[in-house]
Amino acid sequence: MREQLEQLKRDALQAIGEATGEDGLQDIRVKFLGRKGQLTALMKGLGGLAPDERPVVGQLVNSVRDEIETSLEAALLSAREQATIERLKSERIDVTLPGRRDICGTKHPITLVTEEVCDIFASLGFSVAEGPEIEHDWYNFEALNFPPEHPARDMQDTFFVDNNLLLRTHTSPVQIRTMLKQRPPVRIIAPGTVYRCDSDATHSPMFHQIEGLMVDKGVTFGDLKGILTIFTNQLFGQKTGVRLRPSFFPFTEPSAEVDIACVICNGKGCRVCKNSGWLEILGAGMVDPEVYRHVNYDAEDISGFAFGMGIERIAMLKYGIGDMRLLFENDVRFLRQF
Amino acid sequence: MNVTYNWLKEFVDFDLSPEQLADLLTMLGLEVEGMEKLGAGMDDVVVALVEEKRQHPNADKLSLCRVNNGSEVLDVVCGAQNFKAGDTVVLAQIGAVLPGDFKIKRSKIRGEESCGMLCSEKELGLAEESAGIMVLPSGLPLGRPVFDALGLKDTLFEIGLTPNRSDCLSAVGIAREIAAKLGKTIKYPDTTIKEGTDAAGSIIAVNIEDTELCPRYAARYISGCKIAPSPEWLVKRLSAIGLRSINNVVDVTNLVMMELGYPLHAFDCDRLAGRRIVVRRAVEGEIFTSLDSQQRILTADDLVICDAERPVALAGVMGGENSEISDTTTNILLESAWFKPAAIRKTSKRLGLHTESSHRFERGADIGGVIRAIDRAASLIADLSGGCVAQGVLDVYPAPFAPEPIILRPERANQLIGIQLPKDEINNLLSRLECHVIDLADGSLQVTPPTYRVDIEREIDLVEEIARLNGFDKIPATMPLAQVVSDRPSQHQRLQRSVREILVAQGMNEIINFSFTAPNAAGKLLLPEDDPRSASIRLANPLIEEQSVMRTTLFPGLLETVARNVSFRSLDLKLFEMRRVYLPPKVDGEMPCEPIRVVGAITGSRERDGWCQTRAAADFFDAKGQIENLLDLLNIGGVKWVADAPEPFYHPGKSCSILAGKERIGTVGEIHPTVQENFGLEKPVYCFELDFEKLVSLARQKRTVSPPSRFPDINRDVAMLASDDLAAEKIIECVRSVKAKEIEHVEIFDLYRGAGIPDGFRSIAVRVRYRSYERTLTDEEIGVIHTKILDSLVNKLKVSIR
Repeated sequence: MREQLEQLKRDALQAIGEATGEDGLQDIRVKFLGRKGQLTALMKGLGGLAPDERPVVGQLVNSVRDEIETSLEAALLSAREQATIERLKSERIDVTLPGRRDICGTKHPITLVTEEVCDIFASLGFSVAEGPEIEHDWYNFEALNFPPEHPARDMQDTFFVDNNLLLRTHTSPVQIRTMLKQRPPVRIIAPGTVYRCDSDATHSPMFHQIEGLMVDKGVTFGDLKGILTIFTNQLFGQKTGVRLRPSFFPFTEPSAEVDIACVICNGKGCRVCKNSGWLEILGAGMVDPEVYRHVNYDAEDISGFAFGMGIERIAMLKYGIGDMRLLFENDVRFLRQF
Repeated sequence: MNVTYNWLKEFVDFDLSPEQLADLLTMLGLEVEGMEKLGAGMDDVVVALVEEKRQHPNADKLSLCRVNNGSEVLDVVCGAQNFKAGDTVVLAQIGAVLPGDFKIKRSKIRGEESCGMLCSEKELGLAEESAGIMVLPSGLPLGRPVFDALGLKDTLFEIGLTPNRSDCLSAVGIAREIAAKLGKTIKYPDTTIKEGTDAAGSIIAVNIEDTELCPRYAARYISGCKIAPSPEWLVKRLSAIGLRSINNVVDVTNLVMMELGYPLHAFDCDRLAGRRIVVRRAVEGEIFTSLDSQQRILTADDLVICDAERPVALAGVMGGENSEISDTTTNILLESAWFKPAAIRKTSKRLGLHTESSHRFERGADIGGVIRAIDRAASLIADLSGGCVAQGVLDVYPAPFAPEPIILRPERANQLIGIQLPKDEINNLLSRLECHVIDLADGSLQVTPPTYRVDIEREIDLVEEIARLNGFDKIPATMPLAQVVSDRPSQHQRLQRSVREILVAQGMNEIINFSFTAPNAAGKLLLPEDDPRSASIRLANPLIEEQSVMRTTLFPGLLETVARNVSFRSLDLKLFEMRRVYLPPKVDGEMPCEPIRVVGAITGSRERDGWCQTRAAADFFDAKGQIENLLDLLNIGGVKWVADAPEPFYHPGKSCSILAGKERIGTVGEIHPTVQENFGLEKPVYCFELDFEKLVSLARQKRTVSPPSRFPDINRDVAMLASDDLAAEKIIECVRSVKAKEIEHVEIFDLYRGAGIPDGFRSIAVRVRYRSYERTLTDEEIGVIHTKILDSLVNKLKVSIR
């Protein structure tokens, strides 16, 4: 009986060692430990043993069963692990194939820059104002201190609709419309489309500007410098150098052109900045008292500044666009890059 | 305005490099837009001596020269004839680069070696034409770069002047600014004249009839002049700033204009009837031939300079052919006058005649500088032409101009600029600008600007001068103190951003087209003439006819953009534009309307190429889906799609109106085949248009939501055979009309036409999802509702259930 048990154990362990896969192991369990298995069959012989031998052999039976069970469990675990490994291996995919996606569209670069500039100024407390593109001569010129027959009108080649109406040549008339509607304090920016009859590689007959206006008690030219420094640093990077130099606009005095250190060459001088190290991006100045007179503000009581910039110019600098015409050709191979 | 470094140095003493000077000028508001180093990179062009000159053995017109450059003697072949052995000439040595990127190399010319080239003035960029090579005065050091040896090394500054700074349209004007900035004194050019004994007043006469347009007219008489080419120094000075030499008299007037900023005119006095000058307005229709041989028809707004009989000059703009200086001129009447800027501008603009003279007068010349200019010119003309200046200047100036004094409050200036300059410093700055400053007892300053600063009239003008001369760089950057105001972007502004973001998220690329379009744009869209969009606002002065009217619809630009992209082989497109259109006012005299419209176009495949994409062609429902999504996200509900063939440019069977209540908020459809052809499009294009203004009024900010049910759903499908005329929408409505709160969702999940389905019919399959908020539904409960639905479909819509 003992030999038989020992033989059975050896046979079982050998079978477990040779078995492949979970199914094979289950078969072994049935064959040796099942209700009709070999161990059960052997146990039936227990009754024929001497009473004093029974407990000893019974213990042996149990230990054989336990040993086979333990071995089987271990083998099953390993077989399952192996099976998982095999399955995962067989399910491998080529992850370098492109993903399946809904491709997003793009905003036009002019929109992107306009929104970015508006957001920066919104964070400084400026709200957005708008005005018509087909504008009265009075708002576009006269109220901004461009008298009729004044050479300053030559600075802006104008498209006319009739004697009175024209396509606004700048977003500055929105200053006038805002001040006529609202008493100080005024803090607005006015993005919009403007027109000049000029067309070549650097001029488009239609382009975009953003105008800014702040009028309040005690606003200084130094404040203009402060606001524009913050703005350019936000737009072009924290350490962008800013330079204001004297210029002329009929509706501001003192007037300034605002240059930033060339973003292409960092001020060393390159083709884009014509070796000057500076890029002109803004016109600005303190609102001229003559403008206040037109909108019934008291120039003795308040002061303020205005500024204006070309969106195309900023977009071209930000994205390294060499030819302005690309912005209006609407070639999707260009648009999809934004 | 062009001016050179060396020239400026004649008037003000400064110790700055050309680069430093450029920076100083730019920071004064006189922007240096260009700098050109004259003679730069020409160091291999040297002074040389011709030691020997003989005939080239193989060419009649060439000579062989032995040329000494100071260190060696070289063989040079030359084609010019205007020199001989012993002459000092200009040698471009091997390696030199002449203007026009002309590189000098060692070469063989007809078998003879040439180690360089003898240059003409034209080849050096010193003259437009030259007859032969340049022969230099003898005694110049051999081997010296020729630009050095001749003192031609200089820097040309191109200064972009703003229209307010007419005082800087001259070398002296710019020098004045440098002097003011550096605190130096300016040296004005010499104006001393040796006058003859005859009094000018006894020979010539001046009569101003219109003193409003011409408040001052000064004249001098110079007799016995010999008209000749100008001397070398004058030619070079003019050519350095880009002016061509004409003769010794005209060149002087041009020089004085560029030097002092004052436009002068020299008349041949013997051609002036009566030797007299009359300044008057032209007679309407009067004809005048200007110096450029053009006949000009004048109006009563034009000011003319006349002799006793006829106009001889268009005041301040251009002289007349009938009195111009010629080779035979001997006696000259020199004019220095001041004309009203607006009048000059009007004439020059109307005639399209923009001259150096009109440019200065229309911006405001210096009425106080009339005599300095005429004296400077008269003295130079006498010198250069051997003439004699008659005694005295005829200066008709009935009401002498004196600039108004301006009161300046120093604290106001400081407050506006944001600096703290002491009063004395402000006084000093303004005095350096040649203002006359008086310190008043009340702490303010009384400032009288010089006559040439026509731009300074008000206190604010002085504030600008203080900020400018003190330096913008010295103003500290500060942050304003301001009240907090709550001013969120308006719904109109926020929705513009939302609509763009939604369409972009759906794969659409934003385009921006010009606001102007071609006059036939409406016609290309088949819009009838009585369509409001056929009436557009026309520009009075368009650049080209294709951009001559303001667009009333965004479609032409959209379809042109599709066509252009397709021509570049970008075949799968989803484009949108959201911009204004421009509609004529409904009532005359009112402003035009500029509402915002949104248009979109989809063409080609629904998805871009790829290994997992289907390449299915996009259709009407892709366009419609864009809008459905957009309306959902804007929270605009209850929209109807009505197949009323809304636009002539859509396929009538594949287009519809989008109605919110009774109001049309947009359209969607396939572009009509004819329109497709009009725009050169081969493949169908599916478009939509939305009236953004209506979206703004319909978009609801408030959105109510309900919690999801916690019980399971049960789906029941029903397939039916329906007539083609039966709109799918009716089926959904019919299902919904069975009012049971357990019906959670109804959708069409299959459409089929073809084998097994009779003509004129289609099979439509609808899935109804049932769910309760209170409990798990039983089959029996649903069966009751579902039967009602089937009955309703059969009875109301006459479909047969399959």
